[in-house]
Amino acid sequence: MNKTALKVRNLIKYFYDPTTFQVLKGVSIDVTKGEFLSIIGKSGSGKSTLLYVLSTMDTDYEGELEINSNVLTGNSQNQLAAFRNEHIGFVFQFHYLLPEFTSLENVMLPALKLGKLSRKEIEDNAYESLKKLDLQDQALKKSNKLSGGQQQRVAIARALINNPSVIMGDEPTGNLDSKNSQAVQEILKELAKSFGQTIICVTHDNNFAKNSDRVIEMSDGLILN
Amino acid sequence: MKKSINKQIAQVHLTSKIWQTIVAVLGVTFGVSMYIFMNSFMNGVNNTQDNLAFSTLAHIRIYNEENNHSFSPVENYFDSSKTIYNIRNYKNIQYTDGIKNTAEIINLLEKQNEITGITRQLNFSVFFRSGSQKINGLVSGVEVDNENKLFGNSDKVIEGKWSELNFRKSGIILGKVLAENLGVKIDDNVNVLTSDGVSKNYVVVGFIETSIKEVDKSKAYINIAAARQLLNKNFDYATDVLINIKDRDKTDDVIKELSPVINFQIESWQVANEQLLAASELRNIVAIAVSLTILLVAGFGIYNIMNMTINEKIKEIAILKAMGFSGSDIKRIFLLQAAAIGIIGGIVGLFLGYGLSSLVNQVPFHIAGLTTLPIYYKPADFVFAVIFGIATTIIAGYLPSRKASKIDPVIIIRG
Repeated sequence: MNKTALKVRNLIKYFYDPTTFQVLKGVSIDVTKGEFLSIIGKSGSGKSTLLYVLSTMDTDYEGELEINSNVLTGNSQNQLAAFRNEHIGFVFQFHYLLPEFTSLENVMLPALKLGKLSRKEIEDNAYESLKKLDLQDQALKKSNKLSGGQQQRVAIARALINNPSVIMGDEPTGNLDSKNSQAVQEILKELAKSFGQTIICVTHDNNFAKNSDRVIEMSDGLILN
Repeated sequence: MKKSINKQIAQVHLTSKIWQTIVAVLGVTFGVSMYIFMNSFMNGVNNTQDNLAFSTLAHIRIYNEENNHSFSPVENYFDSSKTIYNIRNYKNIQYTDGIKNTAEIINLLEKQNEITGITRQLNFSVFFRSGSQKINGLVSGVEVDNENKLFGNSDKVIEGKWSELNFRKSGIILGKVLAENLGVKIDDNVNVLTSDGVSKNYVVVGFIETSIKEVDKSKAYINIAAARQLLNKNFDYATDVLINIKDRDKTDDVIKELSPVINFQIESWQVANEQLLAASELRNIVAIAVSLTILLVAGFGIYNIMNMTINEKIKEIAILKAMGFSGSDIKRIFLLQAAAIGIIGGIVGLFLGYGLSSLVNQVPFHIAGLTTLPIYYKPADFVFAVIFGIATTIIAGYLPSRKASKIDPVIIIRG
């Protein structure tokens, strides 16, 4: 259990627009496998920025990023895209499903992109994970016909489809009522516990943070505790 | 697998906004069909024009015109010396024009594969006289059947029969306007006076109407045997040997083969009628310019629609990238859409262009021997139209798709 899933060293990042501003001032974190980590902090503390660097989408930083013992700093965008596809699942505040696709297709997309399984197997897996999230009845509905809570759960199912080692959430419950929020938290917790998936979430929600294994508080580009 | 998921996304994009797709497809369709229509119409016009011209013009003409350079032994002899000489009342000796021994040429020509028709003519200018009327004009002594094969004269004879010239050596067929001016009818006599002062009466056996006024006003046809007799020439004599070949655009090749063996002037229709060539070339250029402009405008339309689509889907593109789709995947998704629009638009345009042309081909148009507006299909036009249509679409889709591939997901997702 104490194997390192994600490691950052001395992360420094600047924003240049409108004026040069140092958002991250040398952040170092170790996250072990199967850990459910919450990052909290005020607006502008740099927590979302940190998450996007960890997610490999933002490459404009100084320092070093390592996930599952792969050094990712300096990799090309296309290499990182392929890496994300296989190893990282995302849940965003605004679910961000593709509105013209059904729930099932949305969930299948990352796996189809990865292309390791046949379409049939992927469809079975996607259906399975929708079932786990109690969404089997919504599978063939267009995703823009679902409620907010349902959409967020579809997004989680999509994040899980490739069995990623790390799941990242940017305020995954930020847009949900307390009942749905509770459900999402339970799911994430369950994933960390039963499947050993590492979960890193940025949140404003203290309840959410309380539910996680570890909480990191950020302020002015530094980790407080 | 990877390719098919990109295809699937492209397909969903195209089908979910079906009206937008249809508008884009119509842009290409319009461009392609216009290209086909414009070119088919222009080809039709060119063909009609050519057919009109070739109703009196042979592809190649062999003739022997009086040489301008005159033989002057005195000048040659004293060429380099300083001797002063003076020749009074200087005259050219008589020079035979026309071709005396045409059988020899015909023999040579008949061996050529390219040649589809040969006829001999004996052309000379005369005065037509009937009563008090005196009109100068041209008489063509013709080989009746061969002439008909080359120029289809029998179709143009409006009264009487072309073949009558075969049987009545003293028969003459007059241009329609000429006959009116002379005030003669069928079976009337008309007197022909040659420049040598020989005059003979001929019986009018028919009237001919070409679409060229100048010809109708001044030309008459008699049998070549009668013409030789009138001019007191030998039985093999002709002023012109006219040749039609399989492909009238390839006159140069045929002339190249003939000129070493035939000792007379050989002239192609292109040289004889340069303005004809220029006119058809110019029409082609106009047609191509217009249809390319239409395709270009359609291309801009597609560029706009693709740009709009990408702006609309910018969030989805960011999400796809977050999920691990690479820039080239995104590019491929949008290029696939452009290609689909191009191919569908091109094929529909093909049929629409054909339909439109067929429709225009039904429009009545009764000038210069036409009954409907002329249309002529060339397979190459159809192929080019589709290729241009698809190429324009893909180029128009390329720039927006490259823009899409460069979208930074962080900026979009963080808002």
